[in-house]
Amino acid sequence: MRLRFGLRAKVALVALVLAPIPWLGYRYVKDMEAVLREGQEQALVATARAVATALHDRPELLDLRPGVAAEGEMERILKSLGRADLRIWIVDRQERLLAITGDLRKKAAPERPPGDALDVLARSLRPVTAVLLERPTEDFDDALPESQISGAGEVRAALQGMAGRRWRNSTDARAVILSAAHPVWSGDDVMGAVVVEETTNAIRSLSDRTLEKVVAVTLVVFALGAVVLLAFASRLSLRLRRLRDEAEDAIDSQGRVKKLIAGSSSRDEIGDLSRSFSTALERLAQYNAYLEKLGGRLSHELRTPVTVVRSSLENLRMTALPEEARVYTERASEGLARLDTILTRMSEATRLESLVRQPERERFDAREVLRGCVSGYASIYPAVRFALSLPDTPVMLRGAPDLYAQMLDKLAANAADFSSREEPVRIRLDEKGSLTVSNSGPLLPPEMAGRLFQSMVSIRPDADPREPHLGLGLYMVRLIAEFHGGEARAANREDGSGVVLRVDCPIQ
Amino acid sequence: MAKTVAIVEDDAAIRANYADMLKKHGYQVSAFADRGSALAAFRSRLPDLALLDIGLAGEPDGGFALCRELRALSAALPIIFLTARDSDFDVISGLRMGADDYLTKDAGMPHLLARISALFRRADLVREAPAEEEILERAELRLDMKRFLATWKGKPVDLTLTEFWLVHGVARFPGHVKNREQLMKEAHIVVDDSTITSHVKRIRRKFQAIDESFAAIDTVYGLGYRWNA
Repeated sequence: MRLRFGLRAKVALVALVLAPIPWLGYRYVKDMEAVLREGQEQALVATARAVATALHDRPELLDLRPGVAAEGEMERILKSLGRADLRIWIVDRQERLLAITGDLRKKAAPERPPGDALDVLARSLRPVTAVLLERPTEDFDDALPESQISGAGEVRAALQGMAGRRWRNSTDARAVILSAAHPVWSGDDVMGAVVVEETTNAIRSLSDRTLEKVVAVTLVVFALGAVVLLAFASRLSLRLRRLRDEAEDAIDSQGRVKKLIAGSSSRDEIGDLSRSFSTALERLAQYNAYLEKLGGRLSHELRTPVTVVRSSLENLRMTALPEEARVYTERASEGLARLDTILTRMSEATRLESLVRQPERERFDAREVLRGCVSGYASIYPAVRFALSLPDTPVMLRGAPDLYAQMLDKLAANAADFSSREEPVRIRLDEKGSLTVSNSGPLLPPEMAGRLFQSMVSIRPDADPREPHLGLGLYMVRLIAEFHGGEARAANREDGSGVVLRVDCPIQ
Repeated sequence: MAKTVAIVEDDAAIRANYADMLKKHGYQVSAFADRGSALAAFRSRLPDLALLDIGLAGEPDGGFALCRELRALSAALPIIFLTARDSDFDVISGLRMGADDYLTKDAGMPHLLARISALFRRADLVREAPAEEEILERAELRLDMKRFLATWKGKPVDLTLTEFWLVHGVARFPGHVKNREQLMKEAHIVVDDSTITSHVKRIRRKFQAIDESFAAIDTVYGLGYRWNA
């Protein structure tokens, strides 16, 4: 099966244009985060430099025993230069930890009350955004193992006289720690190094909050957009579908044309489409009506000139003519006879059209009509066999038995003409009033199935030119079927061996 | 003296052809192209028989009007409609105007001549007492084959010539099914099957107007008609 893209699916695809918006938001937040980190780095480096400057040329302050907490002057300096969430430590040239102060963990700051609607929304969406964003946690291992002191690049750089900085994960990898180191000089010698550390949690939570808002806004816009687009697309496709269904049903299998209703008054393109459909269908209906009247009008108009020819020939026949001329008058008479057949057929259909308009109906048993007609066909079509099957109970129809018989004549003529004669033409009536006439022989071309019962439609491939066929027989079948409140249909046999014409008339 | 046949027909070729043909058969012919000239001539002298077209120049139903006027001038004058129109409505209208028969133009001259001579025979017989009668009697039905008069239970049935011939064709051999071709031959017409059906319907209605229980003409579907003795 081929994949079908409905209007709604296409609109949903169009909505994908909106997809870069959250991505752009993400990029923006990340850029902002980078700027903030840069600032944080600068601040840490400055702090480290300040501490180092305070210790400059004061080797006695560094004369501390490793592992002992700083006290006195040293503690004062560190306290005054440090701030919350900073950890400052000092190592000597042997990379031994001399002093340490501060705590990397933030003192649990109370969450600010939500500022605006966006905040509220962002917060309510946290269960969703938590999946996408890893929130910074204060619950991390802030231990400072030996390896971080002796092996660290920034410490080594500082001990060699250069300021250094480094990003690293906490030992349990739950937080990112930024550290900046600065050498402490005493004269031209490096006495030790000051290391200032801070987690990136502050920045991360800021960027997370921003991302949360981006996600919230995106989700809301997407949801609203999707609802609006879907509603619009649904309405469009509903209207189009209704129009399509109506257009499909506008011409029924009998070729009659109905008027379209869907969107006929709306003032947009679909309304235009419906109206132009209606106009086209109306023209088609006019054309069909013209075709149906054509037969009658033509036969009427032709009758006068044909009469001129006939009466002239009759006069001619009464005069003494040379033998040669007699041949030509004979031929003219033959042609005239053929013309008469055509005219008779056409006027027969026209007369039937006016007959089926009259309201007179009577109840009759269709079985009797069938019995009589089929027994007569043996003499009319000596080369064709007919097999009749009737139900045991009367099949009472409402209409005119004469017309029903006329319809049967047309069906039988059609079946006899197309029958391959291998098997009898089967005529069957069931107790529900459904009549089928089935013959073996050539199949109906599929494109003709719906048009067969229209006026002046014939599918005879090699019609005998002396037996003119105007395609009126099955048209008359349809008229009579409708007169009896039924309808006529044509189909190929299921096994493809022939054709079944079917007339369903309601029983009364 | 030769009988006078009047033709009122607006098509010059048809008018001339019919006139020639009738002259060849020994009739005297007066031809008219429109209602006015025909009526003026009829007022001064009536023909023995009139052939009328329905659609005349400028008057789609001029023939009907002319027929009515002609009937007012003479109740006995045989009038035949000869027209291209063959709808049941036109046939019924034409016969209601008092015409004796209604023939479509594709009927052909032999059929027309058969009607003309039959109607003349009847006209002659009405005037003089019949020397010998030719009567067909079937129970309640009585057909006077010379005057083309049908009676049912003693009451006259107003049949056209065509209808009379059809009744005769069916009733001649009671119990036998006459198919449509045979009936057409009897009635000197060439029409399609449904026209025969219309004729038979009209005939039944005329009989039923006299006797509601009339059911002597049976339809044998697919075969034809049968007189129920």
